[in-house]
Parts: sequence; structure tokens; C-alpha cells
Amino acid sequence: MIRIEAGAWAVMLEHAYSAYPRECCGILLGAENPGGERVVSAAFPCRNAYEGDQSDRFQIDPRDQVRANLKCRAEDIDIIGFFHSHPDCDAYFSATDLKNSWPWYSNIVLSIRQGAFAGAGSFRANDDQSQSETEELTYPSALPAPAADVAETAPGVESPS
Amino acid sequence: MAKVLIPTPLRQYAGNQKEVDIAGATVGEILTSLTSEFADLRKHLYTDEGKLRSFVNVYLNDEDVRYLDKDKTAAAPGDTLSIVPSIAGGGR
Ligand SMILES: [Zn+2]
Repeated sequence: MIRIEAGAWAVMLEHAYSAYPRECCGILLGAENPGGERVVSAAFPCRNAYEGDQSDRFQIDPRDQVRANLKCRAEDIDIIGFFHSHPDCDAYFSATDLKNSWPWYSNIVLSIRQGAFAGAGSFRANDDQSQSETEELTYPSALPAPAADVAETAPGVESPS
Repeated sequence: MAKVLIPTPLRQYAGNQKEVDIAGATVGEILTSLTSEFADLRKHLYTDEGKLRSFVNVYLNDEDVRYLDKDKTAAAPGDTLSIVPSIAGGGR
């Protein structure tokens, strides 16, 4: 079971919106309490390091994990998983996701359809990454709106809402 | 002597520690001594042929040791050696 706090959730969605129609990726920081519940207190957005078509691929730059570790050590939290988005695709854990994951971690997939949030799932791989299990996921119901497309907006000009 | 940071999934094989101080003058010496102290870590980090697994990255401070001098990379006292999982994905 994994629960995402509001601040982390906002960072995750904003990162997914800004990467769309490419996949975004990032790191989930938080803790697992003695009851086994995982709480994501911060999300660490990463650059997608995959060299090629990023519409259905992502790769976390290991150096971003080294940086996230600095934050973890300062705040006494841990890297408990990763997140990435599926542009115009459901929030499932693909065979490629499974093969390139690690056991133990929570892997949260965000479905982004036409630039808007369309669902999320959390998955954990077994020890030899032959199968994944769905993990119960809770996240805030209030969603931050997709950010305005800043690339098409002149500096200083407010985008229409 | 370096501080070795253990990724969360492997801490169960390292006495549930987040970081371990390990003596050694090079990255190779430190990893050898780490995996002899915590034998269960070895198969998670190395193949049967004794090569670092492809989905395991080792960073000395913020540099990938594959792009430094690999196992022979010198480690100074106070350096941090991070074991970093490779994470990627994709596909529809
Ligand atoms: Zn995926």
C-alpha cells in the first residue's frame, strides 16, 4: 500500500504534463512505516535520459539518483520508488517497465491522455522481475490543472485560461 | 575509507544499514571488502563471472566509475561510493 502526499503529487503531475507527449520520469522519496504502508512525501523529477523516441521510453539518469540521495540523507527519508508517465496510454506496467525495474521499489505509472491526468497505478516487481503485482495506491483527489503551454506564450504575456 | 550508500532494496543484505564505512584505497578494494563483509550482497552486485551487473551503477561522489578508472579508481578518505540501480522502461 502506498500513499502520495499532496506536494509530491503536484510535482509528479506537473512533471508529466510538461513532458507530454513524451514520457516523464522521477524518483519517489519517503518512508515505509512499520505497518508496511509506504508514504511518498516528496517527488524528485528527473530528466528523461533515454536517447531516442521518448514518447514510449524513459530512463532515469543515475546521477539524479545520486542527487536524490543527498536530499534523503539530509532529511532522513529514502528512495522508495520511481514514477513515469504513459502519454495517451493506460497506467499499466509494461513488459519493458518490468524488465528494467528493480524488486522492492514501488513503480507508479501516470496515464496522461491529451495532456490531462487519466489515472495512475502502482506496481512492484518480484525478486527475479518475472512478474509484477499491483499495489494499492492512494493520491489526493484534488488535481492540479495541466500547466499552460508556456512554449507558445510570449514572455510576460498571460496565457488565456 | 569511503562511505558506501546502499540502495533501499539491498539494505536487507547489508545488515539493514543505509550506509557503511568501508576501508580500501580503490573502488575495487572497497567493493571487495563490502561484499566479503556482507556476502549476500555479492550476487546482487556481481555476475557469476565476477563482473559488475549491467543494471548496477557505481558512482564515486557524482561520477560513474565506468567512466573513471573502473575498479582501479582511487578513493580518498571521505569519498562517497553510491550503488545506484539502473531504472528504465517503456513500451505500450
Ligand atoms: Zn511504462
